[in-house]
Amino acid sequence: MTGRLRKLTLAAGLGGASIAALTLLRGQQNRRAARLRLQRGLAALRLAARGGARYASNAPRLFASAGEHREQLRNDLALQTAEDVAATLGTMKGVLMKLGQMASYVDDGLAPAARRTLSRLQDSVPPMSPELAAQVITEELGAPPAEVFATWDPEPIAAASIGQVHRAMTRDGRAVAVKVQYPGIAETIAADLGNVALLRRMLKITAPHQDVDALLAELRERVTEELDYRREARNQQMFADFYRGHPTISVPDIVPGLSTRRVVTSDLADGARFAELAGWSQAERDLAAETIYRFVFRSLYEAHAFNGDPHPGNYLFHGGGRVTFLDFGLVKYFTSEELKPLVEMVKHLCVDNDPEGFRRAMEDAGFLMAGAPLPTDMIVEHMAVFYDTVRERGPRTMTGAYATAVTRRFFDFRSPLTAYVQIPRSYVILQRINLGLFALLGDLAATADWRCIAEEIWPFVQGPPCTPMGAAEARWRSGREVTAAS
Amino acid sequence: MMPPEGTVTGLVERSAAAYVQAVPAQPADDGFFGPASVTWRVSTDLSAPVAGLRSLLMQALHPLAMAGVDQHSDWRRDPVGRLAATSAYEATVTFGDRATATRAAERVKAIHIHVRGVDTVTGQPYAAGDPALLLWVHVALVDSGLAAAGLLGTPLTATEADAYVAEMRIAAELLGVAHEQVPGSVAAMGAYIDKVRPELRCTPAAAESMSYLLDPPGLDEDIADLWQDIRDAAVLSLPAWARELYGYAEPPPLTDERRTGIRQALGVLDAVFMGEPGVVEARQRLTLRMRRARSEGTSG
Repeated sequence: MTGRLRKLTLAAGLGGASIAALTLLRGQQNRRAARLRLQRGLAALRLAARGGARYASNAPRLFASAGEHREQLRNDLALQTAEDVAATLGTMKGVLMKLGQMASYVDDGLAPAARRTLSRLQDSVPPMSPELAAQVITEELGAPPAEVFATWDPEPIAAASIGQVHRAMTRDGRAVAVKVQYPGIAETIAADLGNVALLRRMLKITAPHQDVDALLAELRERVTEELDYRREARNQQMFADFYRGHPTISVPDIVPGLSTRRVVTSDLADGARFAELAGWSQAERDLAAETIYRFVFRSLYEAHAFNGDPHPGNYLFHGGGRVTFLDFGLVKYFTSEELKPLVEMVKHLCVDNDPEGFRRAMEDAGFLMAGAPLPTDMIVEHMAVFYDTVRERGPRTMTGAYATAVTRRFFDFRSPLTAYVQIPRSYVILQRINLGLFALLGDLAATADWRCIAEEIWPFVQGPPCTPMGAAEARWRSGREVTAAS
Repeated sequence: MMPPEGTVTGLVERSAAAYVQAVPAQPADDGFFGPASVTWRVSTDLSAPVAGLRSLLMQALHPLAMAGVDQHSDWRRDPVGRLAATSAYEATVTFGDRATATRAAERVKAIHIHVRGVDTVTGQPYAAGDPALLLWVHVALVDSGLAAAGLLGTPLTATEADAYVAEMRIAAELLGVAHEQVPGSVAAMGAYIDKVRPELRCTPAAAESMSYLLDPPGLDEDIADLWQDIRDAAVLSLPAWARELYGYAEPPPLTDERRTGIRQALGVLDAVFMGEPGVVEARQRLTLRMRRARSEGTSG
């Protein structure tokens, strides 16, 4: 039973947060020099990201100040041709945006607001003109939108990653959201990623201790994934199937017949945006936070999947804790072997109170060099902040300060640990738990007994429901088992 | 000769501020070129920084033009300020309305009155207001716009190139060169350059200032890395005879891969530039006007 559970579940989750403790740097002799180099390097990456970030924060202001001419202006600046797309996102601009996104989870120097600005980068690119969007639909689905769909709204309702979203009605009466990719963007970005001499130099300055080829491979892999919407459609359908019938978590179904490499069609969802939550009661905000928390860790432990793009624009809120999750362009699947040491870490530290076991698990994961001349209690003390919200029972309020503290610890080069720790590539993405989830929950100032909720989800505990939402989720889970058995 | 004291701290910041200042928010008219002009296209091309650097390299080869800069400007103390002032002037004349562009030209002319002396290398007297010098400076700029766009940016057709040379005549006229003296076509410009070439040489002042410009001390590490590509591109885009005057090595031929690499460096530099306050808004103002001109041009 235990073996099966481990195979099924595994635990990056709360353990995954702990990787934040471990620097990206490989062991080095002179920590001070390394820190200076890294600071300079991060400054370089920030510089590279700055253009886009500024664009993101400035463009909407131009639109806002234009008053009644706003729509006209938007329309006038719209991307009208594939050449416009190349001019806007070519010659490294699109790649820089991606680098900026990567920087947003390895950089502690950005304020939360700046980080959010970075994550909104993609929203800053002007929309496609209606004609250009229609042209992509025609190329991908074989006929213009007016023929493919019963109704088609030529005005995009949202910017998406390297594309935009249109509202439509299918011929059989389904209200759908249609994500349309910028034409030529795949070729444009592929061309920039195919000529990596400059990138290699930039990354060498930016991250002198990293394996530049591994970073480039990571970047290329991620961008290539994002450019093929079919992968995103598969990811989203996996999550939709997994959470079907869930009391508070909802993922729109994909319409496979209307989804291709550059177009993805899914059921239309509507709800309040993250910014609107500011006007909701704290009780409502707490419920929304609980749902997001459950979603992240339930997905990780049970589906072995982590949605690496947790930015605020990817949620719609319906009240009563019900949340619709959007955008599955960046999903990382973990193997059992990858998750196992993370489960062991959280288990040893938070449940078994076994520091030596915790240390062994860190070594097994490749986080900590075996035989590092450091006392175990120092390692535990250094790592404890990452488990802060789940080490003890009782209500805790998430704060922006906590998210920041976790991130700062990640970059704590004064620590003697620095020389002996590193993050294997497959875990790097989990740093987004800190910068994404914890920053988000901190923004909501959400209070819950996170330990108790974690125990429900931890595979080695599987505790009883400790909130009404937990009880509803337990009913959903038992119902799902019945369905699966019959 | 004093070595340069100033470093290039703030090169991006100050160039950006100058640019933002020069692109009008509410222009009284379309200025001397306008959003449908070839000049605006060349000036907003990705290759523009290379064109700017190349034009300085070309201009400096005229001993008297170089002597004027060397003996009268404070480029050693504040090299960035000098560059920013030059680029601000070019942008104002290009994008500003007619009154603003004319005022800027009048200010430059007033300064030129005091810029006169004797070149220590050739022993010849010079005056910055001398139409012959102004013409060389002008042609170096226009020729560089064409060369950089052709090599690294969006190349112009022969008709467009001629139109660009003809449009730009007004820039020389604003500083006091007679209309008929200014080349109005690519062929006329080539003939003029051939005529001036015997006067050109690399004086010590030119060698010093240009080696400073090609390898400025004190650049941020990341900008310095990009600058290498821009510099190589500028040298590459020079005519072979100009490279020989400077004694620069013949660069390897521009492969597709190298061209892409340089364009990428220009793109990153552009993104950095766009990160400065107001640059995006200025760009959008220009884009909107050029778009409108384009759609009016096609519909009307």
